[in-house]
Amino acid sequence: MKKISIYRPSSTGEALQILSQHGPEAAVYAGGTDLLIRLKNRLKQAPAYLVDIKKIDDLRYIQDDGQGGVRIGAATKLAEMAESELLQKRYPMLVDAIRMISSPELRNASTLGGDLLQEVWCQYLRGGYNCWRNGGYLCYGAIGDNSYYHSAMGGRLCYAVYPGDAAAALIAFDARAKLATPAGVKELSLEQLLPGDLMVDGRIQSHVVRYNEILTEVAIPAPKPESRASFEKLRPRGVWDFAMASLALRLDVRDGRIEDSRVVFGGIAGKPLREHAVEQFVRGKALSAELGDAAMATALANAAPLKYNATKIDMAKGLLASGLARLHAAG
Amino acid sequence: MQPVEAILFEPVGCLAEFPAEPFNEIAARLFGRKRKPSRSASRSYWHLLNLMEAAGTFDAGEAEALELEAVEAASVYEDVAPALAELNALGVRVVLASSLSQRAVARFAEKCPGFPSVWSRDTAGGVKDAPLRAASTIPERTLFLSDTAEGLRTAARAGVNGILMMNDPDEAKRLALLGPAGGVVSLLELPDFVRLVAAQNG
Repeated sequence: MKKISIYRPSSTGEALQILSQHGPEAAVYAGGTDLLIRLKNRLKQAPAYLVDIKKIDDLRYIQDDGQGGVRIGAATKLAEMAESELLQKRYPMLVDAIRMISSPELRNASTLGGDLLQEVWCQYLRGGYNCWRNGGYLCYGAIGDNSYYHSAMGGRLCYAVYPGDAAAALIAFDARAKLATPAGVKELSLEQLLPGDLMVDGRIQSHVVRYNEILTEVAIPAPKPESRASFEKLRPRGVWDFAMASLALRLDVRDGRIEDSRVVFGGIAGKPLREHAVEQFVRGKALSAELGDAAMATALANAAPLKYNATKIDMAKGLLASGLARLHAAG
Repeated sequence: MQPVEAILFEPVGCLAEFPAEPFNEIAARLFGRKRKPSRSASRSYWHLLNLMEAAGTFDAGEAEALELEAVEAASVYEDVAPALAELNALGVRVVLASSLSQRAVARFAEKCPGFPSVWSRDTAGGVKDAPLRAASTIPERTLFLSDTAEGLRTAARAGVNGILMMNDPDEAKRLALLGPAGGVVSLLELPDFVRLVAAQNG
């Protein structure tokens, strides 16, 4: 493991200063369930300067925003979210999603910010291959075993999937993120936060957060009274594993008809994939037992599976049908 | 890797789907090649170039006639035109650097426009690395795409960065062991490749 230095700032401003001082060699350190593994994996782009934000008090909270919504500090533990009565009451689907992340032990350490901004878990990257995210210029996942950790929806140099679960659930609730930057506070939607593989500060990453910025908060607007939501996840084992495919589904149903919806797939693309085609298809339709089959036919038309992962598309479509059936039954 | 200033393209295997038969036919007629011909146009082509290189002289007219047949039957990949347009807009010098004859390359350039610079074995004075050298680019700042082992070795011989065109995953997996400087799944990734290397170089 490379030699590292750890800073323990007491405020976000101080943390920003340290990050700016060291450039892309520095990174925010909170739960460490991704960052420390990157160091253990000896990734070339793992940071040498860790800016530990655990001592910054105002980054760890789950609060009512006074307008029916909730604000969550980025350093809030996933376990705290999983046990939050406020979240359970307003967004039970989000709590379902959080409870399906990894294992109880890791949820005790992992933070919301860390889950959202985690590095991909491609076995070639983590195995030290000289790939696009590790100082090289080739995606080994595109030509090797891509059955699990790789995109079935195309790629952009890197074909690894975005691995987080919380993002899909939060996008389904139209959540927004707040970043502290040297130029002040920046707000953006979760979709804008996680646009998939892109170049930031000379490297490929899934999110837009620059080396000198800190994700500080996620805000979820008030749920609509007519909303129903479900989160489903397929994975090789019941705990611990990342999604082969997952689906966060929210339907706003009035008088049996779908007025609005959010359909967000996880585990199949380089980003949480909002499927607008299905959202448009179901709008205005009756939420019926038959809707699932028809919706499946419109889903993921742009699929571009690699040699070994076409099954991810079948899984994702199956989740769509079962999610719609579940929400129909819930009515 | 140093910033990318130029990309050299060999049409066979990287820009278009060619038939293998004309290349196998040249190998059989001109060089008495009797081994079971490959169904892969790229492998047939690069094998033929080895034969041409070893022989030094051959019936250029007969070879050219069959190469023109191959070019006529070739179908240009759909990602070529948008990728070339973006690379040209980025200011990257894109060069058709081929070991085909001049007439065959010129005909291919008509089917696949977008190359301000074109080199053939006739204008370069040889096959394989000769057209790559003739392009007069800075080798360390040049990429050469290939989907064959012979193409990657040729890039190394010319001192340019050999980039694996990963058309077939199984073949690409084998070729990745040769240590290419990089690899792309689609030509549409080349502009991002160029931008990333530029960003890494500050």
